[in-house]
Amino acid sequence: MGQQIAYRLLLSVPVLLGVLVFGFLLLKLAPGDPAMVVAGPSATPDVVEQIRKEMGLDQPTLVQFWRYISRVAQGDLGRSMINNTSVAEELALAMVATAELMIACLAWAVPAGIAMGTIAAVFQRGLIDRVVMAFSVAGVSMPVFFIGLLLMQYLGYKWQLLPFLGRGGPLWTLEGLRHITLPAMTLGFIFVGPVARMTRASVLDVLKADFIRTARAKGLREKTVIIRHALRNALIPVVTLVGLQAGYLLGGAVVTESIYSWPGVGRLAVGAILASDMPLAQGAILSLAIAFLVINLIVDLLYGLLDPRVQHR
Amino acid sequence: MTSTDIESSTPLPRPVGLLRRLASDSTVLIAGGILVTIVAASLLAPFIAPYDPYETGYAPFIPPAFMEGGTSEFLLGTDQQGRDLLSRLLYGTQATLLTGLLGVFFGGGAGVVLGILAAYFKKFDPPIMRFVDVLLSFPAILFGLAIAAVIGPGIVPIIIALSIATVPDVARVTRSTAVVVMSQEYMEAGRAIGLSDRHLIIRYLGLNCIGSVFVFLTLRFGQVILIGAALSFLGLGARPPMAELGMMAAQGRDALFFAPHISTIPSLAIFMIVLCANMLGDALRDALDPRMRNM
Amino acid sequence: MLAAAAISASLAAAPAIAQSITVVREVDSDRYDPHRSTARAASEVLFMLGDTLVSLDYDMKTIKPSLADSWTVSPDGLTYTFNLRKDVKFCDGKPMKAEDVAFSLKRWINPETKSPVRWRAGKVEDVIAKDDYTVEYKLTAPYSELLYQLTQSFAVVIDKDTLAKLGADFGVKGFNGTGPFCWVEWTPRNEMKIKRHDAYTWGPPIYENRGPAQVQEIVWKIVPEENTRLAALMTGQSQVTQYIPYSGFRTIRSNPNTKLIESKEAFWTYFMGFKIDKSEVNDETLRRAMVMAVDQGAIAKNLYFGEVQPAYSYISQQALDWNPKVEADLIKTNLAEANKLLDEAGFKKGPDGFRQRNGKKIEPTFYGFTGSTWQKLAEAVQGDLRKVGIDLKLQLFDATVVWGKLATQEFDMFGMSYPYISAGDALNLYFRSANVPTPNRMNWKDAKTDQLLDRGMAATTDDVRAAAYGEVLEQVHKAAVWIPLYHEPMKIGYSAKLAPIKAHNIYGCGLYKGLDIKFASK
Repeated sequence: MGQQIAYRLLLSVPVLLGVLVFGFLLLKLAPGDPAMVVAGPSATPDVVEQIRKEMGLDQPTLVQFWRYISRVAQGDLGRSMINNTSVAEELALAMVATAELMIACLAWAVPAGIAMGTIAAVFQRGLIDRVVMAFSVAGVSMPVFFIGLLLMQYLGYKWQLLPFLGRGGPLWTLEGLRHITLPAMTLGFIFVGPVARMTRASVLDVLKADFIRTARAKGLREKTVIIRHALRNALIPVVTLVGLQAGYLLGGAVVTESIYSWPGVGRLAVGAILASDMPLAQGAILSLAIAFLVINLIVDLLYGLLDPRVQHR
Repeated sequence: MTSTDIESSTPLPRPVGLLRRLASDSTVLIAGGILVTIVAASLLAPFIAPYDPYETGYAPFIPPAFMEGGTSEFLLGTDQQGRDLLSRLLYGTQATLLTGLLGVFFGGGAGVVLGILAAYFKKFDPPIMRFVDVLLSFPAILFGLAIAAVIGPGIVPIIIALSIATVPDVARVTRSTAVVVMSQEYMEAGRAIGLSDRHLIIRYLGLNCIGSVFVFLTLRFGQVILIGAALSFLGLGARPPMAELGMMAAQGRDALFFAPHISTIPSLAIFMIVLCANMLGDALRDALDPRMRNM
Repeated sequence: MLAAAAISASLAAAPAIAQSITVVREVDSDRYDPHRSTARAASEVLFMLGDTLVSLDYDMKTIKPSLADSWTVSPDGLTYTFNLRKDVKFCDGKPMKAEDVAFSLKRWINPETKSPVRWRAGKVEDVIAKDDYTVEYKLTAPYSELLYQLTQSFAVVIDKDTLAKLGADFGVKGFNGTGPFCWVEWTPRNEMKIKRHDAYTWGPPIYENRGPAQVQEIVWKIVPEENTRLAALMTGQSQVTQYIPYSGFRTIRSNPNTKLIESKEAFWTYFMGFKIDKSEVNDETLRRAMVMAVDQGAIAKNLYFGEVQPAYSYISQQALDWNPKVEADLIKTNLAEANKLLDEAGFKKGPDGFRQRNGKKIEPTFYGFTGSTWQKLAEAVQGDLRKVGIDLKLQLFDATVVWGKLATQEFDMFGMSYPYISAGDALNLYFRSANVPTPNRMNWKDAKTDQLLDRGMAATTDDVRAAAYGEVLEQVHKAAVWIPLYHEPMKIGYSAKLAPIKAHNIYGCGLYKGLDIKFASK
């Protein structure tokens, strides 16, 4: 266990370095003249030149790189080239919004998936099983934006049930809940399938285990057997699935945020890239990368804790 | 999504039996049939597309023929710039499939090389597998964002991102297969009689691994297409006016509320492709590993 | 999922937060510093956050009081004396004095501020606070445009203490102005929240309600997709927006829940310019024929559903100092005549159907913006020019790259759009030789033009100014240096729940100070 964590921690050092070097690449290779962008349409050449100096764009490459590294080391991710806002602050806000979306998504998708998977396992090869499995395959085959656009078009526009424009406030307010419903439904839709599939497989697995046979032999009701014994044990792989699929969820979140103007990290990153706002893009990618390192670490830990049998490597 | 069983891939059973088993499965026949039709149609786009996919100037927002207000002149209607949607769909499918295939091809190739090197040369194993672990720490979408950030939006960054995202899993699959092959007696024998490393790697390891990698990539193809489409949808992929399904869906989004067909049709096409690929992949996995049938 | 839908259905009945208005728009500004931000997105908000010395009436011609009750101009046109209102307060409650005005205007002019629009302030000697309520604006040369320029958002008065406190975060983290609304919070590329300035009573007289504002809060929300903006308006998630796709106007007019205000004036013009000294297009007859070939009427009808005005003049004919004499010189669409002109001038068609000049095919290179607007527009012009045998080569660039590209000498033609108040505003920007290579991308270097522009600027009477600018208008129209394409009228879609609003054209900011925005009384 300890070794595994130590390995992960050690591994994160070169990864971090790699990400920083990458940030530098970004700074150097991105197209467009940032000074021109800042100067705007009616600027004269000398104004542009002035701005370029002010932004340090006339310095040698290495100097720029060093400046970046030392700034990041101090927790300063720089200021947005276009908005002049602190990147770290913008990211902090956006991270909250993305976390909100992910939590809201998991909050319905995981229970729904577990319920579907369990029922499918109990009625294995029956009609329900087939429907659940078909739904699950369809779910993972559906582009997120397709689901998003469909929900937005019908629930949002045609039937006017729910708003589809950004965040409405904190989650505990009515407006906040109303606004998060469509994005959370969209993102959850692609996650129900995998959870259902995984639950079904592990419930089936557990149902064959000795202790279940014992429980049944003791004359416990089938419902009790499934809920108390089988499901509980089957949840372990489901928990890890959630962690392992964080990347998949993030991919969905980026698209979902962009569809619903949800002010999260994904939308921020895409916007920054399309506007060649390099400090912001660097900051967003750097923080996403770090978030993933941490998540991987936690997943490894959880995996080890939940299931002592697991020996990585 | 079907990534939980990477390590468990087993050497291929005899191909004839496999094919027979697959052919008896009705899902395989249906999904395969649809996929073959889609691929064929997209390949034949230059011949069967009724219009030039880039030609603007027909009336915009015409709905598909089967809907109210549609005309048989434009079977799937026109988009907001007055381009024939059917023609764009055919060309767009071609671009989408090609993007995915190239990603899988380059990523798969690099992954195979890494995996074999790791298995064959023991001293390369740790650094290569650590590198693979590093790549695995990041989701594909992050590569997509990062690469598009560096070289700007376009088809090329997407192919690179898809390739990089494919590398680590393929490397692991290859390595685990190759390690099994390495322990076979004929490898020892080959070395004993002085066959060169190159010969051994290409003739024995390579050929043996390609099979399982191919199966793995089949399982993976649907997801690769989805990631590529998502990146395009975000505006990081194909540049207008090029036809590509993800980007077409994104452009159609501007007219979503009164001409929903413009984004729905390309989205549906992606869904069909991925669905068929996933069903084929699942069937293939079941056929290869009957133990997993119940899952 | 069904459960979620059921819950949401019951939630949908909840009323919108009372007295809060959401305005959706396409892009955000880089920051909200009046002296450094030139984007329309910045001006829209700045007009509400702050006030200017003088205001502009809906006719875009009449100067009205605002922070200044009255003003006098010295006979030599060099000294403007503004008498300020005595009841004006900043959002933080501090009374506004003459020194605040002087400070703000001097910051705009100060080279250290690096304002891209410094030139708009004229040649300033000094701005002096004579006493608490008198400001003297001293020029080294007369500047007839001054009052008009002082109505723009660049001349908004700010509080120097807030500026000192916030430093680089000024207009990013906070703001302190005297406008009808006060800064609450800005999340870039997402939303700008401003709330009512309760003490505000000094709105410009063009408004019936001079303050305070009649809604509690305005939220400016960024929604890049045009149809999502339309849908937001239709579903009541936004109450007012001027950023509506052309295809959506019909929907808004026909829907009982939404209304459309249309201003007859259009002070935002789209055009293509020629780099007149490039060998491809340095022939005046050739340019004239090209302008003639372009069918502005068809463009307005086909691309814009007839919602824009086809443009044949470089500025709106309603703009201040438009010269009616130029009407006769305007080049109207006439394909046959265009072909005849080219034939007569000896531009013979080659074997490929394209005209040649000195044995070389005529194929000017066009630089413009990517995005649906210019893509469609450029392709339409390309199609029209093809009909007279000219092969326009289009090169469109992303917004991040295009400004750099447009500052080069690589292209023969370019596409641009711009807001203006008056002829002088437009001409001084685009036709001064000192403004080569950008924004004078035509390389229009003409001593007489410069002289006339100087004269217009220095004019102390309306007649002299109008005459000088009128002559420049004649000059440039005759030389066919632009292909005017269309004037974009201000149209604002709004919810039927709101009382009617009037659209302003100042810098394309239709809501101007927002004092007339209110919910209709039931």
